[in-house]
Amino acid sequence: MNDSGIIVDIQRFSIHDGPGIRTTVFLKGCPLNCKWCHNPEAIAYKPQLSFNQEKCLNCFACLSVCPTSTHYIKDNKHEINFSLCQLSGDCVPACPNEALSITGKINSVEQVIELILKDKDFYINSGGGVTISGGEPMTQFQFTKQILKACKDNSIHTTLDTCGHAPSEKYLEILPLVDLFLYDYKESDYDKHKEYTGVYNDLIQKNFNMLYGASAKIILRCPIVPGINDTDRHFEAICDLYKEYPKLVGIEIMPYHNIGLDKARKIGAEEKFISIDTTDKEKSRKWISTLHELGCTNIRLG
Amino acid sequence: MKDYSKELKITEVYKEYKDAHPAIKEAMCLKAEYPAYFTPLQDGDLFAGRLQQGRVGFTIDEWGPTAFAYYCQFEEIENDLKTYDYPAEEKVKIEEMLKFWETEDTSNKIRKEYPPLMAQYLFSDDWMNTSGIAFPLYRLTGSTPNFKKLLDIGIPGIYKEIEELKATAEEDRRDVKFYEGMKIAIDVLADVCLYYEKEIRLLAEISTIDEKKEELNKIADTLHIITISKPRTLREAIQLFWIYTYAADIRNYGRMDIYMGDFLVNDLNAGIIDEDEALKYLKSLWQLMADRNTVVHNRVIIGGKSRPNEANADRFALLAMEATRTVKEIEPQLSLRFYEGMNPALFEKALDVIGGGATYPILYNDDININSINNAFGFSIKEAERYFTPYGCGEFILEGRSFGTPSGVINLLKALEVTLRNGVDPVTGKVIGLQLGNFEDFHSFDDLMNAYKKQVEFFVSLLAEQEVLEYKICGEEAPFLYNSLLYDDCMAKGKGMFAGGIKYLGGTLETYGNTNTADSLTAIKELIYERKLISKKELLDVLDNNFAGYENIQLKLANAPKYGNNNEIADSMLERVHNHVCNFVRNQAERVGLHSYLVVIINNSANTLMGRSTHASADGRKAFEHMNNGNAPSGGNDKEGVTAMLNSIVKPSTAIHAGSVQNMKFSPELFFERRDIIKSLLKTYFDKGGSQAMITVLNRGDLENALVEPEKYRNLFVRVGGFSARFVELSTEVQKDILSRTLY
Repeated sequence: MNDSGIIVDIQRFSIHDGPGIRTTVFLKGCPLNCKWCHNPEAIAYKPQLSFNQEKCLNCFACLSVCPTSTHYIKDNKHEINFSLCQLSGDCVPACPNEALSITGKINSVEQVIELILKDKDFYINSGGGVTISGGEPMTQFQFTKQILKACKDNSIHTTLDTCGHAPSEKYLEILPLVDLFLYDYKESDYDKHKEYTGVYNDLIQKNFNMLYGASAKIILRCPIVPGINDTDRHFEAICDLYKEYPKLVGIEIMPYHNIGLDKARKIGAEEKFISIDTTDKEKSRKWISTLHELGCTNIRLG
Repeated sequence: MKDYSKELKITEVYKEYKDAHPAIKEAMCLKAEYPAYFTPLQDGDLFAGRLQQGRVGFTIDEWGPTAFAYYCQFEEIENDLKTYDYPAEEKVKIEEMLKFWETEDTSNKIRKEYPPLMAQYLFSDDWMNTSGIAFPLYRLTGSTPNFKKLLDIGIPGIYKEIEELKATAEEDRRDVKFYEGMKIAIDVLADVCLYYEKEIRLLAEISTIDEKKEELNKIADTLHIITISKPRTLREAIQLFWIYTYAADIRNYGRMDIYMGDFLVNDLNAGIIDEDEALKYLKSLWQLMADRNTVVHNRVIIGGKSRPNEANADRFALLAMEATRTVKEIEPQLSLRFYEGMNPALFEKALDVIGGGATYPILYNDDININSINNAFGFSIKEAERYFTPYGCGEFILEGRSFGTPSGVINLLKALEVTLRNGVDPVTGKVIGLQLGNFEDFHSFDDLMNAYKKQVEFFVSLLAEQEVLEYKICGEEAPFLYNSLLYDDCMAKGKGMFAGGIKYLGGTLETYGNTNTADSLTAIKELIYERKLISKKELLDVLDNNFAGYENIQLKLANAPKYGNNNEIADSMLERVHNHVCNFVRNQAERVGLHSYLVVIINNSANTLMGRSTHASADGRKAFEHMNNGNAPSGGNDKEGVTAMLNSIVKPSTAIHAGSVQNMKFSPELFFERRDIIKSLLKTYFDKGGSQAMITVLNRGDLENALVEPEKYRNLFVRVGGFSARFVELSTEVQKDILSRTLY
């Protein structure tokens, strides 16, 4: 399996995950369970059935082809018991309106690289490259490493979008292949970090220090979620980091949006996540000015 | 009630000179038309020259689908006769006039000359409302003469040249009537100026506002001066240029920065005007062009290689873009030619103007186009550097040297659907194409492809012959004096441009539905011949029923590879279709005796209009829906993002046709907030062989439309929180959310 991995999606012309025009590869699998996750379909390590209720015609063509009882009818409406799905995939072509799909596809390194290379001229002219994101790309370590290696062999700039929660030695191993880290900084409080993300932040901080110490180029990415971590305490902590780590390439504030919820609904995982309104522009601008006032100047909205 | 006195008078003059030398006949008709058809100066105009064309007249362009050269707008006149209650005597005169033009109207003369096969298969002239594979067009459009010569020597200089050439011709005992007609035409041009001068002096006299009086007198002075002197200032140059374009019915204006740049800079250096004043002139000129309301014409090109005084031209070009930015009209169609090494301020300004909501300037890449023109037309590189792109379509021509009116249209998708049904048009049930066998008889995909090619080739051959016939009759009818005056080598030869005078007489053919055709062929190849998921009979049933009841198959067809996604299967089919039609058309030139005959893949409403009479197609397109635009992927089928789309659209060769159009749409967020990204996208596209780009920056209205018709906006990217998304793939709720947020 080392030569292939599970991919949620590959986004070409990605312009918000690192500099320039990029191709972002979203890998499946994440050790965290952030309450605000915006890519919930990338958390599980395996492919999953995805159901877009808005598109369903309630024709029930899927029922007859499903080898299990995943699809069922309740009040004349198509419902799904996701836990029963064994990923036969038979229902996908049976649906006449593309309401069903399988999230997560097995791709070989070659397939990914072939696609990546198609836009190489755009990377060169824009100072862009490739970003590996997810999920957490470190969970598919060999696959990630091989993609990064192939990028470097083709002189393509690489960015790793990571939550920081992976064995330290793996980071050290991958470090020479990564030109830029987009490194998450989600919550400054030790216990709250566990509460919001499912893990403690000590390993994350350790890895951060290690990478910083090894002169890795890092942009710190801070998801800010209203009512959860938009606190003075957290903002102050971000500013402390800013002062303590002057060689950070930058800090990006990622205002919460609820797009993830729509995607969670499709995989039957809606109840695991918080449901609040998408941050309005005014609020996010206010956060930026708060951080400016606290002395944190090299900061922008991501 | 429409007054027909002018039309009746022109008809009388035409009758009187019917058998005279064509140059004299034309000159006398021009004299009858002008200044009669010119209309008064409007408030705010800094230059004289507005016109209301009549229902009968003479034009090098067109006043309706078949109204060109000596034309009569039969339908409109008949409508007037039905609508208004004309006095009996006048009614009789108008009816007699109609009857007279039946045989004299140039289009009618051409159609009468069709050989039987041409008449059978090009059975209709009404391409907008008739179901058919190919149609002729009646026009000589896109004329772009040597404006520089006009402005360099002015009316007196031209008069002198005519006299000298006439004397030489007399000595050589050659025909001198051409020159005599030319002299009358120049007199008419001067008369128009003097007519306006007189009118404007009267206006000045009655004006009570000093400032206005002064301005009007300035306009009148200018009109007077240009009849006795060559233009000396920008103001005089624009005035002569503008009167001339209307008299000659030239609707495209060539490389304006070359012929106006020196006037501008000389005036500025001499302190005659400042930049503000110059901008005022241009804004007035731009407004006059906008009011001309040509829909598809009014092209002005700036920038590019081989501009003799580049610094002056650049200065004019920047001002022209500023005029476009501030006038905010849909015409003129300002276009920027650029090349590696050109003053970067021009490209930068262009992006500012586009970003300001204009879809102008349209961008043309000299580094690709000059070589393409060299190859496609056979012009030397040096000549190709002079290229200009008239009208909306942008068929390359050489200013004052070559001509290539599009005189035919072919609907490739209709050719395919007729071929699938053994020559029968599924819309009308009539046999309209070659009968090359039933779909069932095409045992391999190549069998089908060969039949499709044969069908297309048959119609292309007819259209090429029709174009030559059209030129021949136009050449016999008239020398097109005002145009021949400034077209190499008409004056020296003493011949009209279509009577052997012009240096390079070429033709072009508009192809439509290219992408739908290629995508349909891809789907047929994949699903029927290779994977055998659908039978031939099934496909025809599905298409005949416009997919109703066959949604599953429609989905399969829609999901087959599509051009525009950087997909080798789909893109190579497009190239196959493209190479076939382009090369076959190009090879017609020699056979029919044109300098060149080339395909144009263009941008206008024909893809929609012809789509209305084209049945459902195997690419998943529903019956009567629009076909793809220009060389673009069809109907938002480019799902892989802009880089994939750009990678696809640079694949079809640009070196075998006369031009193609690339529409691109960007969201304001991307355009305004990420200018660096836009610049590198465009740079890469042009580096990779992109010839042209028409850029739209979408506004809120487009997003609203995207909600209603999401299938058309699949490539619209929006910024959502920390990432970009395809707008139409977001849930309705989120879309509405974004829509509300873009208001800020």
